[in-house]
Amino acid sequence: MSNTAGLVIPCKAAVSWEAGKPLVIQQVEVAPPQAMEVRVKIKYTSLCHTDLYFWEAKGQTPLFPRIFGHEAAGIIESVGEGVSDLQVGDHVLPVFTGECGDCAHCKSQESNMCDLLRINTDRGVMLSDGKSRFSINGNPINHFLGTSTFSEYTVVHSGCLAKVNPLAPLDKICILSCGVSTGLGATLNVAKPKKGSSVAIFGLGAVGLAAAEGARIAGASRIIGIDLSPKRFDEAKKFGVTEFVNPKEHDRPVQQVIAEMTNGGVDRSVECTGNVNVMVSAFECVHDGWGVAVLVGVPNKDAVFMTKPINLLNERTLKGTFFGNYKPRTDLPSVVDMYMNKKLELDKFITHRLSFSEINKAFEYMVKGEGLRCIISMED
Amino acid sequence: MSSTVGKVIKCKAAVAWEAGKPLVIEEVEVAPPQKKEVRLKILFTSLCHTDLYFWEAKAQDSVFPRILGHEAAGIVESVGEGVTELAPGDHVLPVFTGECKECAHCKSEESNMCSLLRINTDRGVMINDGKTRFSIKGKPVYHFVGTSTFSEYTVVHVGCVAKINPLAPLDKVCVLSCGISTGLGATLNVAKPTKGSSVAIFGLGAVGLGAAEGARLAGASRVIGVDLNPSRFEEAKKFGVTEFVNPKDHKKPVQEVIAEMTDGGVDRSVECTGNVSAMISAFECVHDGWGVAVLVGVPHKDAEFKTHPMNLLNERTLKGTFFGNYKPRSDLPSVVEMYMNKELEVEKFITHEVPFHEINKAFELMQKGEGLRCVIRM
Repeated sequence: MSNTAGLVIPCKAAVSWEAGKPLVIQQVEVAPPQAMEVRVKIKYTSLCHTDLYFWEAKGQTPLFPRIFGHEAAGIIESVGEGVSDLQVGDHVLPVFTGECGDCAHCKSQESNMCDLLRINTDRGVMLSDGKSRFSINGNPINHFLGTSTFSEYTVVHSGCLAKVNPLAPLDKICILSCGVSTGLGATLNVAKPKKGSSVAIFGLGAVGLAAAEGARIAGASRIIGIDLSPKRFDEAKKFGVTEFVNPKEHDRPVQQVIAEMTNGGVDRSVECTGNVNVMVSAFECVHDGWGVAVLVGVPNKDAVFMTKPINLLNERTLKGTFFGNYKPRTDLPSVVDMYMNKKLELDKFITHRLSFSEINKAFEYMVKGEGLRCIISMED
Repeated sequence: MSSTVGKVIKCKAAVAWEAGKPLVIEEVEVAPPQKKEVRLKILFTSLCHTDLYFWEAKAQDSVFPRILGHEAAGIVESVGEGVTELAPGDHVLPVFTGECKECAHCKSEESNMCSLLRINTDRGVMINDGKTRFSIKGKPVYHFVGTSTFSEYTVVHVGCVAKINPLAPLDKVCVLSCGISTGLGATLNVAKPTKGSSVAIFGLGAVGLGAAEGARLAGASRVIGVDLNPSRFEEAKKFGVTEFVNPKDHKKPVQEVIAEMTDGGVDRSVECTGNVSAMISAFECVHDGWGVAVLVGVPHKDAEFKTHPMNLLNERTLKGTFFGNYKPRSDLPSVVEMYMNKELEVEKFITHEVPFHEINKAFELMQKGEGLRCVIRM
């Protein structure tokens, strides 16, 4: 690999030219990494709902052409100037948010919202020079979330790469660089249910099931899964979900249903839909005195969270999380280790596999609501 | 005192006959304590805003005639059947909320909202038999939040009585049975600022200053007091407040003003006004990534707390507290010890003192917004 260091690499990428239209696999040129950047050979990538959302570009200003993708695993091909803690050949997970190590957030024990490298969905260029590392015939292609993993090679800021155990199978752990860690961390790092406690999970997609997996690992005795789609219930049992509530089947608000099932409310709840009414339900269904609700799903711009103050004065806690409160560089490697130690199960999240040339099928599955995670193998 | 055991005691009480009208010092009869009850001789009591609120009875119904009062200190006169943890002569603080020690809340390490004895502002009788222990010429006079401390003697549930160090001066520690502990605990037990952190306190009345005192004890480096009334600022300095913000002095929302003063937001905020806009400001002024806001003040029935969900997804935490999260029986004695160890300063909260027969002066002072705590000597 080192014979490409310092050179432009021509390779295949799945380019999105227009909102909602199939990606086109074509040759792109990937410039070498600049200061504090790293060029990564992507081995496996998966589709996450955030890619779909910005590909559809319904709610926001579109930025095309663009290379999407932010859940992936790869190997370092070369490093730019000033990069000392990563080297060629390292196994890495690129992450859509970063950790510079210097700002107040990175220095805080709690926060993972790095001032320099936190998620930016508008930016389509690299920070160091405001330009893209991708081009086709000299014309720039926009980056996405600083990762752009739907490409055989990509360039990311070194603060956005987690160096992981080289023995970990990249085709499994790629899904840890976004959705699964987000849900898992929401439960393990933020909700922190005690052994034997009760947890309600709202939304049984990949993020919600990861939150359920977190509750299973924490030893929760009851994991109540709430979803409008009953066909998700069977699958959810594999993730530790013990009971199901479909809000459509009840006349009264779902928080009341849950409170009745649990003698006043659950100990913890984790909200993974992004629907603001569900957020309110997730908060109001936790027990007074000690209940904690954690919001994960991202709502639309105009959403308003509203509750009666007495619900807070009654000693309920309301929290929100971003990327499961994991600091990408510091914490993700230990999530990979949880998998290697067989504490965390990942295979059950992977329902489909495709080769890179078939990447558009992954979008079709997700649009149809089929499956959880589809792994795209970059090498056919 | 033992000569009154088992008998009705005739004594003086300040009775509220009608909403908003001055209390009348009357002779009342106080029945002996029943099962799980305790009869207390009240030595000192103080007025708290909640007494005023239910005396004015503007927003809700309140039963009359009623004996108000819930911040006090006294001595146990006699105990009812089944009471083993208290004995005549014990020095105690009666509390408006209780701790049965058996329900899920009492057994929880976190909660202090006892299922059996939590605050009930509607009830004017004792739980045991649904009747009152006070009467005037045979006619019932109602209780208030299970304490009714504006009386020389009162009867309370044993779960609502904190037994304290007999050396603690009762004329000082009486103020610890409500407002100050509420504010103090909001900071020490719930907001939990770390040493050197920044804290914003909304509302600089007794509860807010109790919260500020908590921030001082925790070693906060900046304690920003927020109040519409600048005359409160000078007093607040004694409680560790280092800077002041009057929202009226600014065009932009106060949370923006505070964020600018603190590089993005304070580490902790404690809201002690009960005004729902202030609650939202208190939440939105904490720093993303690690900020925690604690709501203390009780709003009116129709209040709605609203915020953009992004403010939560940005890793801010929103909590609320009740009575500073102190379990009355388990925790209040240690608050008294904090005072006895000279960590917690209580004298500075006491700005006025009146004898019992002048109790209405305490109401007047509070209505005029004068002072912090007025101690009433029985």
